Amino acid sequence: MSERPSLWWIDWRLSRGALVRETIGRFLFFCLLGFALLSLLLSGGANRFLADRYAITAVLRADVPSSEAEGLARKVAALPPVRSASYRDPEAAWKEFLLAYPGLDPLRGAGGNPIPGYIEIRIRPDRLTRADVDLVVSALRSVSLVEQVLSGEEWLPRLLRAGRIVSWVCRGIFAAFLACFFLVGRLQERARAVDLGGDFAFLAERGVPAGRLAFFRAAAAAVSGFLLAAAGTAAGGGALFLTLRAFPFLEGVIGPASDLLLPRTVAAAVLFSLGSALLSAAASLSGWRAARSGRK
Amino acid sequence: MIEGFRLGVFSRGATLWDGLDFAFGDAAAWFVAGPPSSGKTLLLSILRGERRPDAGDVLVSGESLYRGSAALARAWRASCGHVPEQTIADARLTVDDLFRRSALAGGGVRESERRDRADRLLEMVGLPGALGWRIAELSISERVRASLAAELLRGPKVLFCDGVVAGAGIPCREMLRGLFRALAREGNTVVLAERTIPERWALAAGDAAPVGPFLVYRLPVPGAGTKGEPG
Repeated sequence: MSERPSLWWIDWRLSRGALVRETIGRFLFFCLLGFALLSLLLSGGANRFLADRYAITAVLRADVPSSEAEGLARKVAALPPVRSASYRDPEAAWKEFLLAYPGLDPLRGAGGNPIPGYIEIRIRPDRLTRADVDLVVSALRSVSLVEQVLSGEEWLPRLLRAGRIVSWVCRGIFAAFLACFFLVGRLQERARAVDLGGDFAFLAERGVPAGRLAFFRAAAAAVSGFLLAAAGTAAGGGALFLTLRAFPFLEGVIGPASDLLLPRTVAAAVLFSLGSALLSAAASLSGWRAARSGRK
Repeated sequence: MIEGFRLGVFSRGATLWDGLDFAFGDAAAWFVAGPPSSGKTLLLSILRGERRPDAGDVLVSGESLYRGSAALARAWRASCGHVPEQTIADARLTVDDLFRRSALAGGGVRESERRDRADRLLEMVGLPGALGWRIAELSISERVRASLAAELLRGPKVLFCDGVVAGAGIPCREMLRGLFRALAREGNTVVLAERTIPERWALAAGDAAPVGPFLVYRLPVPGAGTKGEPG
């Protein structure tokens, strides 16, 4: 026999039933957290919802040829904060006007089409900030083809503030769930440390240092925490993917399912798993310490 | 050799004992008899390196257990087996759990090997097929013997037994005597702490060495010479 016993997965070796129950519970919790995390990442809180509904309208002068207007739309689309820029010629604009205000056809009779062409600019969800909107607006105002830029400057700050508050509330709820995970995990670890106190005392009496026991328990908690978080996030991601496919209208709020496989989404999931591993290890150490101080 | 020099313990506001000298030689079975509340369990925990004496020191192979390095004390504890007085502390476990825990303390025992050795050890202490039994359902005698078998799984160099002979009961005494003698013959040291020594054991051991409130006997081991003397 070796002199230094292997203490990896010692809880598993001593108390399998309790550990299996805890592991199943944690996995389900991580599925929920993974679903929430990915939804939050894709939606950016309320950003995608707002970006889907907010547009800057650049009203063009009456005499601007279509080719020049389309060229301008392409240049605007190349700006970093812009998701899309599409040109509507005066005829299309007139049809949209009639759809919005039916029964106003007589307006055209006197002097032709009174509605000018325009470019509708939509901002990327992650760039929907006052600075980026100002950047696009100032770029458009400097163009001689543009008659007027409508960007909702009066209500935009309030809208962005509301969006920020919603985003922070969403993040706060997610952080509260994480804190819950830590506290519940700590309680579970403490209960298990108390339950296995006799076994740990037995080992300590036979020359196994308590520090090694605590370290290996925490290390095992970290490894299992990482694996569970990764598996839970993958399962949560799968559920989100299926949800977005089943209910396409949710893409306007959360985002397209294809974004789940973007490198930054995957990187965030890996970071989340690493954070969960750290939290699991901290819960294990904290529970161990609480159990020992309670016993003294 | 385990040596205790001028050992003293102060307990419950009074001196339990002081200035006691012990010398337990290797490859022998030692019997420490003492009245109730004389500090037998305390003496064993001091000799195991669990409880620092309030006076004196314990030397193992010439090195201080309490004034030496922590690594030495840990290595010593790792080489020891300990069968405590039976309590209800492990009632939730099964006999198999005792062996699993003991194997963990020893390290590196494969599951199949552990089960095989556990079966043989249980048979040796008169508990064949007891691996799946719950500790809560065992009698005191069975608990003592199961704990002893679980400790022997690791093959400890030194075995401390607290109240094992009394706990195991009269029908098991001779089996235990034979077991302890066999262990000593194989080079292990056994230290037993009991309230009284069975008459036949005392007759075979000869004169006891009085050390404070204790009487220390060296049980005869066929084919082994004396390597240490108490007091």
